[in-house]
Amino acid sequence: MASIVLNSVDKIYAGGVKAVNGLNLEIRDGEFMVLVGPSGCGKSTALRMIAGLEDISGGEILIGEKVVNHLPPKDRDIAMVFQNYALYPHMTVEENLAFGLKLRKMPKAEISKRVGEAARMLGLEQYLKRKPAALSGGQRQRVAMGRAIVREPQAFLMDEPLSNLDAKLRVSMRASLNTMHERLGVTTVYVTHDQVEAMTLGDRVCVLRDGLLQQVDTPQNLFDNPVNLFVAGFMGSPSMNFVNAELVRGDGGAAVAFAGYKLPVPDATFAEKPGLDQFIGRQVILGIRPSDFEDSVAANGHAGGWVRLPVRAEVTEELGSEINVLFLIDAPPVQHQDTVAAADTGDDEDATLPLVGDKSLWTARVNSRSHVRPGQNIELVVDTHNLHFFDPTSGLSIGHAGARV
Amino acid sequence: MAANTTGTTSAADPVHKPSPRTAVPHARRKRSRNPIGVFGTLSHVALAIWAILIIGPIVWTFLASFKTNTEIFGDALTLPASYGWDAWGRAWEKAHIGQYMLNTVFVVACSTAGTMLLGSMAAYVLARYKFPGNRAVYYLFVSGMTFPVFLALVPLFFVVRNLGLIDTHLGVILVYIAYSLPFTVFFLSAFFKTLPTSVAEAAMMDGCSHTRTFFQIMMPMAKPGLISITIFNILGQWNQYLLPIVLLSGNVEDKWLITQGVANISTSAGYEADWPGMFAALSMAIIPVMVVYIVFQRQIQSGLTSGAVK
Repeated sequence: MASIVLNSVDKIYAGGVKAVNGLNLEIRDGEFMVLVGPSGCGKSTALRMIAGLEDISGGEILIGEKVVNHLPPKDRDIAMVFQNYALYPHMTVEENLAFGLKLRKMPKAEISKRVGEAARMLGLEQYLKRKPAALSGGQRQRVAMGRAIVREPQAFLMDEPLSNLDAKLRVSMRASLNTMHERLGVTTVYVTHDQVEAMTLGDRVCVLRDGLLQQVDTPQNLFDNPVNLFVAGFMGSPSMNFVNAELVRGDGGAAVAFAGYKLPVPDATFAEKPGLDQFIGRQVILGIRPSDFEDSVAANGHAGGWVRLPVRAEVTEELGSEINVLFLIDAPPVQHQDTVAAADTGDDEDATLPLVGDKSLWTARVNSRSHVRPGQNIELVVDTHNLHFFDPTSGLSIGHAGARV
Repeated sequence: MAANTTGTTSAADPVHKPSPRTAVPHARRKRSRNPIGVFGTLSHVALAIWAILIIGPIVWTFLASFKTNTEIFGDALTLPASYGWDAWGRAWEKAHIGQYMLNTVFVVACSTAGTMLLGSMAAYVLARYKFPGNRAVYYLFVSGMTFPVFLALVPLFFVVRNLGLIDTHLGVILVYIAYSLPFTVFFLSAFFKTLPTSVAEAAMMDGCSHTRTFFQIMMPMAKPGLISITIFNILGQWNQYLLPIVLLSGNVEDKWLITQGVANISTSAGYEADWPGMFAALSMAIIPVMVVYIVFQRQIQSGLTSGAVK
């Protein structure tokens, strides 16, 4: 096992396209690091550079304190799981697993021991004599995983390994990936565009955009304290609601005003976000997570001190335990480049609803006890302690430690 | 309101559906059968005519080897009076077809093996690796296809003679390889491009060198393409007549190839040629090629890469 360090790594393709731009990243020994971002953000390129499948245009990559810039993949002692599995079609599962070990001239007994162990761990024992063509997608995926495990490498690299599985299988494979990492404790770099995978799997998550590192942190910190509009909009599903608002200080303390609403901003927020008080009387971009809303009926008095927000539900998505309520607010959608970039990638069903005039569509995630129907007027309560404020010019989160550049 | 309307339509669906459900299959069946019907019949007729055009002469050749000279020049549609293997014996013994066939098998085996080895390696590199001059090399190969062999015959003769390879099998083998490479490279490089790159990358991660990746991973995956082009090359080289005539033109009858032997039967005896013997020799030349074709044909399976990638 080893740590992986990227020092201002660049990748410039022929034609001058900069796929990765000055990427600095330290992946600690035994850590599960997830690289996430919209397609074309350079996450796969970064992974392939660590693997040695792409040349590095600038900077250096260290695996276990050894610079590997010019080492071919086979000498880096790492194993990779490909998105499309990339199994050897003419070999049986057993031969697929053993191939890398045979090439390393490992004694036969050791090979069969390791293959047997991996097969048992992945539940592939009864398929060892089959060829990949005779396996289901999930089984192929496990063979691909097994091929990496038997090598006992310094690090695993995984390039969207679950994206070709159906939804149910993906969830169970996600769980087995988690247990596998717990058990083996091997440094893992995992690329995905699915932020649910990123949140559930990663010890830390690295958000990339256009080849630039946005933020590296634990999943919870990314969710709670996004560094800028892009990260805020990208992480979390449904994504964060944004609006252009004005921060004012009235008789009853500070408040944020938008679309005819006025939400009080607690003093604690000013304490947490140094620099926010400088924005009083100025425009900010306000962000509210859908999960920070609740139906005042369903909240049942638990929302003491939360602010009420009367809205009309346009669309409801019932998810069983929760309901996504889509409603319009009387303010133009935020057209900041960061929010647009983040929204492009998400599976945002809200974009399909035609917006009338200068209104933007917001989502609230409320308890299913709310029983709200489309067209109903409901009263939402907002947890004002979790408001997010962004600088409208830079798009950076106001008062975020990483944003004070 | 929105929920209400969707609710009613979904509730009404089961009531409304049965009637269109019975009507739909009829319409669909007609629509799908019609194109197959018209074009299917036409194509089957065309294929039947084509098959007769191919099989007819082969069967006739085979039957003619049992006929006498008089029978051959008589009514073409009669069957031979008796089935004896005299003509086959004469062709094998007196006309040395046995010897020539061995020569041909040796030459074609060597040249096909050489063509496939060199052609597939060249095609793989040209298809998969970017380097300056890649396209130039590729087009150089491909331009070979545009070059008629007659045009190069005289210079080719002198080149081979200067190399001291005239009237040798090695000379023929090398010329065959050079002659077959353009199409082989053209075909295989297109084929290698269709194979998934990630499998080669997985092999590199597993510790393969470029050479091993090619021989142990990519070649097996390219099997259908390799077999098709192998058959093509065997057929082309087995039937080659012009090149051996030029390259084995000296007094080296023992080195002749089968096409020369067959031709020699018809020309050697002037007007009293041994026609049944010649047809026997022709049949002998056809049979091995047919066997090769049938054996390899079974090996061509589409979807050899299935299971490699998603």
